[in-house]
Amino acid sequence: MFNVQSPESKVEDDSFENLQIIDGELLEVSSSDNIDYSVEEQIEVAPRVEKQIVKDQKPKTENQKFYLQYILLPLIFLTAALLGGLRLSATDSALIFLKPPLICLIFATILLVLFFRSGLLKLEGWFSESFSMLKNTANVGILLTLFFASTQIFNSLLPETGLPFWVFAFCFFWTLWNNLFVEFQGKRLLQSLGSVFALAFVSKYLILAYLTAPTSESWWRGILENPTQEFFTLLFDLPRFAAGTGYIQFFAVIFYLLGLFLLPPVSAGEK
Amino acid sequence: MKEKHIQLIGVIIAGIYAVFIAWIYLVEPKSLTEVPTKAQTTFENVTTKAQVITNTYEVDQEKFNEGLAAFRKDNFIAARDYFERADPERRDAKTQFYFAYSFYRQGFGKVYNDNELFKKGLEQVDKVIALDKNFKTDDADLQLKTPAELKNEFEEGLKVTAEDFNPFKVLRQRK
Repeated sequence: MFNVQSPESKVEDDSFENLQIIDGELLEVSSSDNIDYSVEEQIEVAPRVEKQIVKDQKPKTENQKFYLQYILLPLIFLTAALLGGLRLSATDSALIFLKPPLICLIFATILLVLFFRSGLLKLEGWFSESFSMLKNTANVGILLTLFFASTQIFNSLLPETGLPFWVFAFCFFWTLWNNLFVEFQGKRLLQSLGSVFALAFVSKYLILAYLTAPTSESWWRGILENPTQEFFTLLFDLPRFAAGTGYIQFFAVIFYLLGLFLLPPVSAGEK
Repeated sequence: MKEKHIQLIGVIIAGIYAVFIAWIYLVEPKSLTEVPTKAQTTFENVTTKAQVITNTYEVDQEKFNEGLAAFRKDNFIAARDYFERADPERRDAKTQFYFAYSFYRQGFGKVYNDNELFKKGLEQVDKVIALDKNFKTDDADLQLKTPAELKNEFEEGLKVTAEDFNPFKVLRQRK
């Protein structure tokens, strides 16, 4: 309990500087029910109650970030990777799993470099000597799933064979190569990627699919029934897939873009 | 749940899922109903490889005997199927010798030999020599006892010589 001087008493300026700093809260305590103003008002300073800090206690939102980043995000990217190479046969709707060509791996590598350059991903926020081994491993895992998903998205959006493959591949390469030397913001890069992927998807699964002739019993019958489509199919060497392929690839692209949207620039728990 | 536990679970789940995707792209099932069959085949292959690595690999004697019975009945296609299943890793010289011999017996003709089968037999007998060059069969039913003799028979059968036009050739016996 400390006694503090009443407002009436004078405090000299010199002694004020030498006062001890008191850590506490001010409390008013009346000595009796009938307040006698003649008596000096007593003000007590109660000691500060220290709040109990529970070790490792984190807000719920922080835990949700960990769940999102270390469990949900890899699953989203891996699902995009699974669907990216899946096609349905035009004849019997059998599953066809297409392995990505080499160019897709190159594109995915350039894309990852772009992510780091644009600040969409910050290297020091994902890998550090100060992180635990497990955290570094988990972060490597997430970025690997991102790489696989990127590879498979290019596999999905590039036509499988013929002239369209080379035209699409050249357009992707041109865009990615230009972007490598441009000052980017993460948000702008996402918008740019979204629009490029959407354009490629429409070109492949709507325009080229429309030009592809349906499977017919014989070559001659195909020519007679669908002369224009048969002409374009033969000219561009367009592969014939079932209509369901477009739906599957639509979800592959959606999953990939959703994953990119949820991907934080630094790993959870870092600023 | 603690951060490290979430990270550990994430790594494990992502790892399992990634292996599943890699496997499905490797085996390429045609439909979802084919997935369990492919899984079983993969499991058997992995088990066999593990047996080879741990040096516990053995030929399936039951299947070998069934193959041998089919071989004696001149049902060579069934015999080869049994031999293949008895020795999936193709590491047993005896089984592989019978496998090669089946090509000889099936391809042998009194007028002319089946060149395609003889070529396959020649490839197969080379594998037997690679496995065990000193191999000699104790089967009394087989007249060609060693891989070298069998190889010579294949090579002679594939050659076109004046002897091929000898009409008495039809009298020769299958060994």
